[in-house]
Amino acid sequence: MQPTSGISEGKFDYKAGKLIKVRAVFEGDKIKDIKITGDFFLHPEEKIEEIEASLRGKRIKEIEETLRESMGGAEYAGISPEDLTYAITEAWKRRK
Amino acid sequence: MDLRVIFDTKHRAYWNMGFDESLLAHLDEIGPTLRLYGWEPPAVSIGYFQSMEEEVNVDKAKELGVDLIRRITGGGAVYHKYELTYSIVLPAFKGRILDSYRVIDMAIIKALKKLGLEAEHHGINDVIVNGKKISGNAQTRKYGGLLQHGTLLMDVNVEEMFEILRVPEEKLKDKMIADVKHRVTSLKSEGVDVEFEELQKLMAEGFQEALNANIYEEDVPQKIYDYAHSLEVNKYATHEWNFRR
Repeated sequence: MQPTSGISEGKFDYKAGKLIKVRAVFEGDKIKDIKITGDFFLHPEEKIEEIEASLRGKRIKEIEETLRESMGGAEYAGISPEDLTYAITEAWKRRK
Repeated sequence: MDLRVIFDTKHRAYWNMGFDESLLAHLDEIGPTLRLYGWEPPAVSIGYFQSMEEEVNVDKAKELGVDLIRRITGGGAVYHKYELTYSIVLPAFKGRILDSYRVIDMAIIKALKKLGLEAEHHGINDVIVNGKKISGNAQTRKYGGLLQHGTLLMDVNVEEMFEILRVPEEKLKDKMIADVKHRVTSLKSEGVDVEFEELQKLMAEGFQEALNANIYEEDVPQKIYDYAHSLEVNKYATHEWNFRR
């Protein structure tokens, strides 16, 4: 049974162009904490911390819009807002 | 374009990454600069976005005397031992970063041609020979300039590499080793026997041709070494930096 409220953890490794690894803590359907690692490219690199921060407190259904905004203006390869939305959603589906 | 070349020797990982960043930070003063170097003791570098603990068996690396370091560039984990590494700092190109890999990778392709190997750019950031990866490259843009560093494998020992690098599932380790052996090659595997110093010269010529540059040898001012040392000690050798993700 997947919990519908309370704290849960989910992880998912997604081989997009490169490998994207999502490790997340959920509170109900909100992202409480998230770490995105992998061998992708994102310029400027420091943007990753902003992207992670932008996701904290957001509901699962808000991820894609949040990422379109927080990844806007960045150049990336092996990772995109769509890839990351998919990876986080899969981590959510697998939460324990 | 004039291109300064530093024919460097083998250094510790922390110095190597500190020196590369210092060169980039002083691009305005020193101009376009290419450094050709190696790693001693061997090291694993991970990409900016990777997790050290997820990528590397940290205890095993310690036991084997392999240094661990996080790069300021993205991309994957690299075992640095049997290779020549280059770093180049240039004013940032116009256009997409990802397209500029192709331009700089041409230098490696030209160097390989001098050794009788037909190489080509592959994917985002690789150079391949006979369908196998021989060089991986990563770039960042900071301080108003561009830094690209990358490797040219002189030899490869996949078993040794996977003693230190983690695999997703231990039971699949043998299969992964076999896969990597199919996907990665080296100068030695391609039948090329060349000394480190000779390869440095050929790489410098490759850059000269690919970038249409006039190369010259000249040391950089002391302050570039001083800043590199400061980065070595205060950033690249720290647990805080290397284990931050």
